[in-house]
Formats: sequence, structure tokens, C-alpha cells
Amino acid sequence: MMRDERLWMALGWIVLALAPWWLPWLGGYSALGTKVLVYGLGVMALNLLLGFAGGLSFGHAAYFGLGAYGAGMTLKYLAPSTPLALLAGTVVGGLAATAFGPLVMRRRGIYFAMITIAIGQLLYFVAVRWNEFTGGEDGLAGFSRQPLHFGGWVLDIRDENKYYYVVLVCFTVAAWIMRGVLRSPLGHTWVAIRENRRRAEFLGVRADLYIWAAFAISGTFMALAGALNALLFNFTSPQDLHWILSGDFVIMIVLGGMRNFWGPLLGALIYIVAQDYLSSVTDNWMTFIGLLFMVIVLAFPRGILGLLRRRGKAAA
Amino acid sequence: MSLLRLDRVSRHFGKLQAVQDVSFEMNEGELRAIIGPNGAGKTTFFNLITGFVPPTSGDVWFAGESIRDKAVVYRVKKGIVRTFQITEVFPDLSVYENVRFGVETAAGVNGRPWLPRAKRLELARRTDELIEVVGLAAKADRVVSELAHGDQRVVEIAIALTMNPRLLLLDEPTAGMGDAETDHMVDLIRRLHSERKLSILFIEHDMSIVFGIAQKITVLDHGRLLAEGTAAEVSVDPQVRAAYLGEEAKA
Amino acid sequence: MTQLLLFNAFNGLIQGAFYALMALGLALILSLNSVINMAHGGFLVIGAYLAYVFAPYVGFAGAIVLGPLGAAAIGMVVERVLIRPLYKRPDPLYTLLLTFGLALVIQDLTRTIWGPTGLPFEVPQILASPVSTVFFFITGYRLLVVALVAVAVIGLFLLLRRTPLGIRIRAGTLDLETVSALGVNIYMLRALNFALGCLLAGLAGVLAAGVLGLTPPMGNSLIMPSFVAIIVGGVGSLVGAILGGLLIGLAAGITTTFYPAASEAVIYLIMLIVLVVRPRGLLGHEGLFE
Repeated sequence: MMRDERLWMALGWIVLALAPWWLPWLGGYSALGTKVLVYGLGVMALNLLLGFAGGLSFGHAAYFGLGAYGAGMTLKYLAPSTPLALLAGTVVGGLAATAFGPLVMRRRGIYFAMITIAIGQLLYFVAVRWNEFTGGEDGLAGFSRQPLHFGGWVLDIRDENKYYYVVLVCFTVAAWIMRGVLRSPLGHTWVAIRENRRRAEFLGVRADLYIWAAFAISGTFMALAGALNALLFNFTSPQDLHWILSGDFVIMIVLGGMRNFWGPLLGALIYIVAQDYLSSVTDNWMTFIGLLFMVIVLAFPRGILGLLRRRGKAAA
Repeated sequence: MSLLRLDRVSRHFGKLQAVQDVSFEMNEGELRAIIGPNGAGKTTFFNLITGFVPPTSGDVWFAGESIRDKAVVYRVKKGIVRTFQITEVFPDLSVYENVRFGVETAAGVNGRPWLPRAKRLELARRTDELIEVVGLAAKADRVVSELAHGDQRVVEIAIALTMNPRLLLLDEPTAGMGDAETDHMVDLIRRLHSERKLSILFIEHDMSIVFGIAQKITVLDHGRLLAEGTAAEVSVDPQVRAAYLGEEAKA
Repeated sequence: MTQLLLFNAFNGLIQGAFYALMALGLALILSLNSVINMAHGGFLVIGAYLAYVFAPYVGFAGAIVLGPLGAAAIGMVVERVLIRPLYKRPDPLYTLLLTFGLALVIQDLTRTIWGPTGLPFEVPQILASPVSTVFFFITGYRLLVVALVAVAVIGLFLLLRRTPLGIRIRAGTLDLETVSALGVNIYMLRALNFALGCLLAGLAGVLAAGVLGLTPPMGNSLIMPSFVAIIVGGVGSLVGAILGGLLIGLAAGITTTFYPAASEAVIYLIMLIVLVVRPRGLLGHEGLFE
């Protein structure tokens, strides 16, 4: 089974690495591929908290948006450096998640969800009203990603295909780290808390501190995704912090399968391609997305990978 | 030497006297049963030992130290580990994952995002060993919620064993089990006692089990200590017969 | 200055009254149906637009009654068809996502049917004029809003304390299993409770329409503060939800006087302070919804 998974991962990675060649052929474009990877990274980060540690955050767009604003404002006001912008966005979002974590770490279920939603809205209104720096409702523009310098060699990532590879590298490293953490005792502890918090606490585990750690780590990688997204479009807006985006994130996770590490990536792929397609063919794409939400919840609560796994088990 | 000692311990819940003025002593390596009719205070007695409720009065000693005011977690670290009347496991995880979590918790590595290979292998070996001890090796990869009830209770004991108990408390270990499952559990308790030299204190309703394996029996009734002794002594005690066995005879 | 402060404070209280109505409905649905109703803003919009549609036929007063009733009826159908199949899944995630999707559908359909731009909700001339020249901001309509909210709240509490339905709802929030064992049809109970929550949302919508006008996303700006009202007031407490709603409305109004840009953020700051100082909210119970 182990070997199976490695084979799938290697195959998947090759497919991703060749995306700029086969995407146009299917009617897609590189930026769409980049967007899938960026959102995939974000929802995998959220799923670390949601699917593995059992923390129902419905306000994770806040950290995505903070990463985006952190990166954009660094480029606009501080220094024309892409690595610095990515780092700054990640750190800002990560620190915010670390700071807000203690407010929710002792809560569960409904309460956890409501407080995370509300914290997200706080940050949303800061972005909307702090006009001079954030550009208010119109969003933050006037910055663009800068070429990467490796000693004397310059990689001009203003080209969309080249930026795709930057994102692919970030995605790969981040996914590798998250997968490692989830397979470590820390990851095992999160799962145990999700399964039976009382039991874990009786064994001497301070569940709240572990949930805090999950919240902080999840928020950090989500912020990296936000920073990458801001550089993809050279733009960010308060919509990147809005609760509607938080809801989109959660449905991507459920769609792909929240008990599986790679499920969210699959969910992001389907959701973003569907959204891209629907918004190009109908004005009422929101209705279709809303209906998609309901169909997923009522008919496929385990997500696609959950369904496949079930089928596999039934067959075997 | 006495491992566990309760000194005139009482516990009230409002007006209800759950445990009244009970003194109790248990030696290292002993296999002891607690019996008594429903409402005798057996589970409260367990909760007093494990720290889930503090005593209203009296003192609790473990391995020469007063643990009266110590938290559950402290007592677990000292070696007082229990199972519950209602099975408490991690239902959607495999047997292996359940036990591995206990092993990692006992090793104090819960918070580590990374382990060196040697440590990882050592913990894996320990996990395998404990699964072997409780006889679940063939079912290690099965999800616990899909196992039979008897096996789930065995998993719970395996989790308890990961914490390196000096005193293992089992709350009705055979409750709700069929004959084969009960035999397996009784055999497991016996082996843990004889092979691993564990001190075990268990609550049990099935008298054939109690008389079959317990070295000594403590009888509670209405929160009071009614009698104590070997199976032979307890079974002829007139008070016990009146309060407990009499009730069974009626039923 | 004083007049400006009074003006903003009064505006804030009106706003707070809307939050309180919304929060009451949300709290009812939260405690008995265990659903975080993300579509609550959608039911507000339904109530408002239905009133707009009915008004030419039944008059202003009739619309104020029929709008919320329409929202309640649609709420009952939604509960029956979409939410009831989910009660067997204890994870709140699923109803959260379902009502979220429903919110998107309602907003989009409203936009498609009535257009994306705002529509005026005509208030009778006699109610639209100020009652005093000094306090120009106090119109008859605004007084009517305050009065109707008060009537709705008192009515709700009478319903919950005096009628068999209300007593069952309250008992159900404490222990649904026992209520079920006593022979109460808990499916019907939860459907009625959901409809009751939507009725309150619809009423908030009708009343808000007269103050703010009608737009398809009008529910979005009211639902989040209503969540905050519940958290501030204490999850599980209906009185807390009212108190929380009025408090944050007033705070936002007063902040507008001094620092308009922070008028929304202040709501969330109050929430953060409450969460730090009193994690269960002002009137919340220990251990509930932990």
C-alpha cells in the first residue's frame, strides 16, 4: 500500500510538472493551473486543522488574505523582492493565526466555527476600512512579482509558465513538510484528539495546546498560499479574506475527501475548474455553485476519495 | 509492601453518600476484585483512586506518597491507569494507531513533528509488542469501530498498558461480552497478572469470574466496606450473603 | 456634537434591534436544530422582497405581516427537504455547508429576479416624516421599528414560556432525547422551530428594508454581526442574544460619531474582549456547546 501511494505521488507530480504543455491543449491556461495549485496548497493546510485535528475553522480565508496583503504590501511599500514578499506574507498570516489560536483552542464544533468566522470578519473590515494602505474595497494593486536572482542568473517569473514552476516548487516543499508532520507523533496526537478528546486528555495530553499548534501551522501554510495568490494576479482585495471564500475552502475539502491528505487538492481542482467554466457560460454561476454545495453535502459527504476508498473496500 | 492505601475515605454528592469511611489496602502484585450490588459505590471508589473525583474526607496513598490532591494525569504518570465502563477508544483509527498513540504519549514525544529513525523503530517495536501481548496481532490494521465489542475492550486494555501501569484498574472488563469473549478476557487478565506481574484491581458482576481469578475480594454495599477476604471467606460471610448474594438469589 | 452623538446612537440602536432579531432566530435554530444557519441572511432577504411584492396588493401593514410569514413558510420547506436528512450526522460541518450553499442560491436568485440594484421599499408618508424638528432622525417609521421589535421579542418570550409549543421547544434544547421519549414529535418540533427562526429573520428583513432599502446582498451585512451578538451574549442564551445585538449596534453607532472607519471593526473588537475576559459570553452557561 505504501509503495502504491509513492507510485501515485510520483505520477501525479510528473503530470503537474508537465501541466504548461498539456493544459492549453485541454482548453486551459497556465494561470488556471497555478490557481489550482495555490488553492490546493491552501485547502491542504486548512485540512490539517479541519480533517486531521478536527477543528472546524470557517474563517481561514482570513489567513489567506493576510498572506496576500502581506506579500502585496511588501512589494508595494518595502522592497521589490519576490522571496521577501512571500516570506513576509507567510509570517504575517502565521503570526495572526498563532495570536488568535488561544481564543478557539478550548472550543469545539459549533462554537469553534462561529468564533473563527467572526475573527475572519474582523480582519476583513480592517482591510476594507484601512484605505490608505490597503486600497479599501477596490483592493490592493500597483505591485507586481519581480524576477528571481540566483547570483548572476536571473529567472524572469513575470512569465506565467515560469511562475507556475515557482508555485509548484513551493507547493511541493509545503506538502512534503505537512505530510511529514501528519505522520509524526504530533500528527498522530491531532488525530487522536479529533477521535476522542476526553480519552486523549485522560492520558495526559493537553489537547488545547495541540489544537493551538494545528491552528498556527495551518494558518501559516494558508498564508503562504495567499501570498502566492497575490503574486499570481499582482492584486488582492478584501474578497480574499471574506467568509464566502472560507466557505469555498471548506467545500473544496469536503468535495475531495477530508480524511485523505490529497483529497483537498482534488477538491480544489474540480471546484476551481467548475467555477472558471460556470462563470464563463452563465451569469447565474453562483446558483450552480450553491447547488453544488448542497449536492455534495447531501450525496457525497465523504468526498470523492472517501467514496473511491469505500468502493475499493467493498470490492476487496 | 502496600501499593495502594485508602485511609477512611468518604465521598458525598450532595446528600448522597457514595462512599463512606472506607479503608482499603492492596499489595504490589495482587489481583483483587471489587464486588457489590448496583449503587454500592464501586465506580466512585475507582474515581477516588484515579482522581476523577476528590474525596470529601480521608486520604489516598500510592507507593508511599499521598495522592489525595493530585490530578488524574499525575496519577497516570505514577502508574495508576484505568479502563472505563463504557469503552473509550479512538473509534475511527486502526488497532495499531490506537496503541501507537498510547506508546508515543507514554514516551513523551506527542509534540514532536519529527522523530529520528532509531526512535521511530523503537516505538514501532513497542507498539507491535503490546498488540502481541493482548493477542490482537492478526487484527492490527483493522479499524477499531468495526471490531467486535470484546476486541474493542481489549484495545482499551492495550492502550492502558502503553502507559506502563503499576496498578491497572478495570471497570467491568467483561460487561456485555459473550462466552468466548469473556474467556479470552479472563485469560488476558490472568496472563497480565502472572506474566507481567501487574497489580490489578477490577470491578466485576460475574461471580464465576470473581471467584475464579481474584486472589482477594473486597465487598462494598451502600458505600461502605462490607467484607474483605479470599473467595472462600467472602462467600460464607453472613453479611455478604444477606446484602449481596441474597439479592442475587432473589433475582 | 451631542445631537450627532444622539443621532448615531439612535441609528445604532435601530441597527442593534435588527441584529437582535436576527440573533434570536439564529440562536433558536442553533440550540434546537443544532444548525449554524448561514442562510439566515437569505431568509431576511426573502422576507424583505416578499413584502415588496405583496405591498401593492395588501398595503404596507399587510406586507409587514405577510413577508415574514412567507419567509417562515419557505424556511419550513427548506428544513423538511434539505436539513432534516442531516440530523443524523452529528458533525455541524454539513449543515453549515448546506445552508451556506443555500445562501448563495438565494442571493443569486434574488439578483436574477429583481435585479442587482437597490429597490425602494415605500413607507407610508405619515410614517416617513420626522416626529420632531430637533430630533430630525426620529421618524414615525423608526419608532414603529422599535415598537415592532419589542412586540416580537415579548411575543416570542410569551410563546416560549406560556404555550405548549414553546415549552416543548425549551425542553428540547435542554434534552431532545427525553422530549422525544415523552411522545413529542421532535421532527415537527424542529421544523416549527426552524420556521420560527426564519419568521424573525423575515421580520428583520421587512423592517430593515424600510430603513436601508432592498438589495440582494442585504442579508450579508446583517448576518455576521448577528453571530457576534450570539457570541457576545453567550451561546445558548436568548436574552444574551438580544443584549448582545443591542450592545454591538449601539457601540457601532457611537463609534461612527468619532471614527467612522472603525464602526464595523468595533463590533468584532467587543467580541474579542468578551472572549478573553468572559469566554462563555455575557450570559452564557458553563460547558454548553463546548
